[in-house]
Amino acid sequence: MSGRLEGVGAWVLYCVTAAMMIFILAPLLVVMSVSVSDSYFVTFPPQGFTLSWYAKVLQDRDFLDALQLSAVLAFSTTMGSLLLGVPAAFALVRGSFLGQSFLKSLVLSPLVFPALVTGLALLQLLSSFGSGDARLNLLIGHIVVTAPYVVRTVVSSLQLMDINLEEAARTLGASRMKTFWRVTLPQIAPGVAAGSLFAFMVSFDNYPISMWLANSEYSPVPLVLMRQLVNVFDPSVPAMSTIIILLAVVGVLILERLVGLRRAVAI
Amino acid sequence: MAQMKSANVRLEKLNKHYHRVVAVEDVSLAIEPGSMVALLGPSGCGKTTCLRMIAGLVQPSSGEIFINEQRVTRVPVHKRNIGMLFQNYALFPHMTVAENIAFGLDMRGVGKADAGKRVTGALDLVQLGKFSDRFPSQLSGGQQQRVALARALVIEPAMLLLDEPLGALDKGLRESMQVELRALQRRLGLTTVMVTHDQDEALTMADRIVVMRDGRLEQVGGATEIYQKPASRFVATFLGASNLFSGKIETRDGAGALVAVAEGFGLLVDGLSNEAREATVSVRPEAIVVEPLGNGAPRTEVPNSVVATIDQVVYRGFINHYYLKLPGGSEIIAYQQNRTSEGASSFAPGDKVIARWDASSNHVLPNG
Repeated sequence: MSGRLEGVGAWVLYCVTAAMMIFILAPLLVVMSVSVSDSYFVTFPPQGFTLSWYAKVLQDRDFLDALQLSAVLAFSTTMGSLLLGVPAAFALVRGSFLGQSFLKSLVLSPLVFPALVTGLALLQLLSSFGSGDARLNLLIGHIVVTAPYVVRTVVSSLQLMDINLEEAARTLGASRMKTFWRVTLPQIAPGVAAGSLFAFMVSFDNYPISMWLANSEYSPVPLVLMRQLVNVFDPSVPAMSTIIILLAVVGVLILERLVGLRRAVAI
Repeated sequence: MAQMKSANVRLEKLNKHYHRVVAVEDVSLAIEPGSMVALLGPSGCGKTTCLRMIAGLVQPSSGEIFINEQRVTRVPVHKRNIGMLFQNYALFPHMTVAENIAFGLDMRGVGKADAGKRVTGALDLVQLGKFSDRFPSQLSGGQQQRVALARALVIEPAMLLLDEPLGALDKGLRESMQVELRALQRRLGLTTVMVTHDQDEALTMADRIVVMRDGRLEQVGGATEIYQKPASRFVATFLGASNLFSGKIETRDGAGALVAVAEGFGLLVDGLSNEAREATVSVRPEAIVVEPLGNGAPRTEVPNSVVATIDQVVYRGFINHYYLKLPGGSEIIAYQQNRTSEGASSFAPGDKVIARWDASSNHVLPNG
């Protein structure tokens, strides 16, 4: 028996895959189509065509402030996650210490625990320290939930990497630091990039943590979106959503381009 | 490339254990400058751990390592100036051939122009001048190992360490690389330690062979010495095949003696210690002459000969392997060369024959 899919079984699997894609993408397409609807209410199918909702949204101070805050927050969160996650992954894979495998699973726990609970716990902890800066609190909270993504992707690329490469570099005169920058990092770049992407996106659309840690002055996009939704549910909400979706797609494409190119060179 | 300064290396009572598992035990070894030494043994015998301790990739549990009489036991790997070849080549996949070779020079702060010249020189040395802009993945296994060799040599290391360097190559290429690597090592006069589990590779390439077993040194010596005068049962059977006979010493005449072996015949031996009352003797298969029994009663009383039955004949081209059953039921093996004018084999399974050999082929194993 060959490993290739053939016959009826193959077609069933293709159909399931197609259905799954539609299931994932259809809601996004609905939102995007409603955002150009020429009516004051959110209705599907959309009526007419207008870009006026986009014009309105892009003049909305609250939304633009939130967008900027979220972008800065997501970027800083990504950097923070990398600073913590890459060394942690390195220690977990290359080190040998007591409780290593236990720690490996513990480090992923923020992915398992309900974020709502994590957020509340963080709020209590941070306020008991007297940390009143919402931006700092948001950054800390977001790093807590995003660093595990970086650890996870970097751990798997480190495990795939040939350790002899590091040893060869060391015998050729490279210190541990130089070995990391010149040999290890280029090898695990796809894992680092994937982890960064996860960290950025998770931070950018995080609601359950931000809900506890934000205040009225500093609210990230998902909170503003939610508030808008509760107040007036007009097509400006789908317009905001569409802008976010498009930003995400552009981000992924850029990253794929960067990492993809590098990989093509390496392999 | 200029003749390199050859280092001498000394290992002093090296030990390495991981938790309670002993990997290397009490290894002391002196390596002559410019020589090639092979650490030979089955997997798990500690040969790779020894090599990695010399490189600095593994820290010994106790003992000392000296390079040129300088103690380097605590010197980190990147300051030891050692060239190392790995079994899987370990070329940096994201760098071109030239960048790979330049890496070590870059780490040493060698200027661009000088480095460029030395990279070209190293590439010429391994005959890969045209390949400098390729990536490792675009090269064959043999070419990759040459690049790894150039990368290790360009830094003008104090010594070269080879970790099963040709293990991933197919047989023909491996054999030609063995000869080539050996010639290059001789020309550069570079002290080299290699690890191998392949006895042919050790015999072909090394000045001295270090046979290891269970973390300990079993025997150290030149190829001929190790092959012809194995110190133990293990060495006798690990390097080539051996027929082993054990028995009581019957009559003595100084160092010479007659050993009556369990198979019911006598062996004339010498080089026995005075206290010895029993001996284990190794006889190489190629020393045994197989002859037809002929007419008349077999003369079993003649030493170094035994009547046997052919059990199996294996045709190996230029030699035949004869598996012979002895009267006691044990089996010995004899190699007989095929001369072109003769047929494939003059014997068939079931034939009664006499196996005999010269007394000088009897080697008493000192360690039993």
